[in-house]
Amino acid sequence: MITQDIRPILSALLRNRTGAVLVALQVAIALAVLVNAVYIVKQRVDKIGRPTGVDIGNIIVIDTIGFGAGYDHMATVRDDLGWLRSQPGVRAATVVSQIPLSGSGSSNRLFKTPEAKGEGVPMNYFLLDDSGVDALGVKLAAGRKFRQEEILPEDPTFNQPVPSMIVTRALAKSLFGTDNAIGKVAYDALGRPVTVTGVIEHMQGSWVDWDKLDHVGLLPRQPSGPNATYLVRTEAGRRNAISKLAEEHLSASNARRVVQHVRPLDYYRNRSYQSDRNIAIFLVAVTALLACVTALGIFALATFNVNVRTRQIGTRRAVGARKVDVVRYFMVENWLITTGGVLLGAALALGVGYSLSRAYELPRLDLYYLVGGVVALWALGQAAAWQPARRAARIAPSVATRTV
Amino acid sequence: MLAMRHISKVFRTDLIETHALRDFSLEVAEGEFVAVTGPSGSGKTTFLNVAGLLEGFDTGTYHLDGVDTNGLSDDARSRLRNEKIGFIFQSFNLIPDLDIFDNVDVPLRYRRMKAAERRERITSALDLVGLASRAHHLPSQLSGGQQQRVAIARAIAGDPKFLLADEPTGNLDSLMARQVMDLLEQINEMGTTIVLVTHDPELARRAQRNVQVIDGQVSDFRPYEPHAQPATFAAAAAG
Repeated sequence: MITQDIRPILSALLRNRTGAVLVALQVAIALAVLVNAVYIVKQRVDKIGRPTGVDIGNIIVIDTIGFGAGYDHMATVRDDLGWLRSQPGVRAATVVSQIPLSGSGSSNRLFKTPEAKGEGVPMNYFLLDDSGVDALGVKLAAGRKFRQEEILPEDPTFNQPVPSMIVTRALAKSLFGTDNAIGKVAYDALGRPVTVTGVIEHMQGSWVDWDKLDHVGLLPRQPSGPNATYLVRTEAGRRNAISKLAEEHLSASNARRVVQHVRPLDYYRNRSYQSDRNIAIFLVAVTALLACVTALGIFALATFNVNVRTRQIGTRRAVGARKVDVVRYFMVENWLITTGGVLLGAALALGVGYSLSRAYELPRLDLYYLVGGVVALWALGQAAAWQPARRAARIAPSVATRTV
Repeated sequence: MLAMRHISKVFRTDLIETHALRDFSLEVAEGEFVAVTGPSGSGKTTFLNVAGLLEGFDTGTYHLDGVDTNGLSDDARSRLRNEKIGFIFQSFNLIPDLDIFDNVDVPLRYRRMKAAERRERITSALDLVGLASRAHHLPSQLSGGQQQRVAIARAIAGDPKFLLADEPTGNLDSLMARQVMDLLEQINEMGTTIVLVTHDPELARRAQRNVQVIDGQVSDFRPYEPHAQPATFAAAAAG
């Protein structure tokens, strides 16, 4: 039935095509933007939602700095950790050289042989103590945590070797080709050996945009002063209360030390993903606006067509069109315009997607998004034309006999 | 064919009531050619709209080809218009974006006819009005008289029993008007009932019977005297 309607509607459209072509172009642009924007938003959302491997919701980061000649860094850290670990609701606390997911961190390269041949494997490393694994809440897949006696003292030269390390599965695989790495030895750039004593399932390091974000190593060494950063992992629901308590206590307990920040770890993660989030919000807003403008364009064209064809609609009704025939006429006409737009838009979307993937090294546009976009614009077009089509159907057949 | 009895139709606004038809009764027999005349504002157009099922009425009864039109749904009225009535309008009412062929096709599509049958009927109708060679012209490429002939082809293509013509020559010069009237007479001779609504006494004189409407009522009519054997347009065209 509908296919029977298409030919005369199409031929009428082609004879009077300016408005239809403009709306079809609008649909084409909307589709190209919509599909690529949704695809990019999905990638950003996926990126933000990647598992961190750490107990992100229950970790407090306390950032302090000592000052003056009388400041004893080692004693201060010992006292602070002693107090933090003794608090009810605290599961573990460690001092750490860098804050995971914060955008600030340290890295070096490890090699399979002492000769340090080739490019090596990059490792984002964190110095921490024997409570490090528990304070991060990472899951140990093999081996053991650090023992208290293997924690090395601070090294202000940043050049002393570390004999053991805990690595992520991802780093173990890159280094040794297997995640069964316990007892295996890697070498730093100076050929000094370091033995793997533990493997953790997964942990994200410092830089969320780094493609080796999960190449993380934990090293058993006391970080150097006068800065001291603590990671405090609490029981669920206790983070805020313990943050307040810790800030009050640490601020008062040592006159030669200042508490700079007490923040949840997810503050740092959110900050690192701020630009991704802003891009996603911007694209969603632009897409929604474009969809609204496109719907308004379709609505305006359909309304215009109904207004200029009042006599024609009355005549159609007079010669036998039912109300549903009039509605169908305008819906089919709109569908044809939208379809012209989506065909052009599909080509445009693929072209834009290809250009974006070339320019920004993004994955190529997934065709499911294109199919979804086409269906969405068809639906948008039909929804926008529905009210004018219904209005057209209400035009009385007696309009045909009016002379004015 | 058409039997209206005691029809009344009132248009109401907040301030006034206008009695467009009052106690209006008229019968038109099958094969008849009747002219309905009357001065401006007499109720001719309201009669046309009611007779053509384009509008309802308030009281009375109206039977069209034996079908009681009272209480019919909007869809049923559409179907009845499509099957029984051919309309010819003063302003032709062709669809400007469709060519002549597609214009004649419009009522046939609403009848859900097969494409081959539609094509045959359109060709026959255009042949009859002498415009088969112009099938793929647009209305704007034709003269007024030719456009009205296309409208007549559209009206008869569905082989209706009843043609309702509203001032069909009102927008034409005298030569073209004569050609259109000749065509209507030819169609009537094939057996199609025609009701011609006009204010022009010259045109009305060419009908078999004149009915005058004044103040929404039939004021005078002459008895019907058939002069031709009824036959359908399709049979004539095929023969």
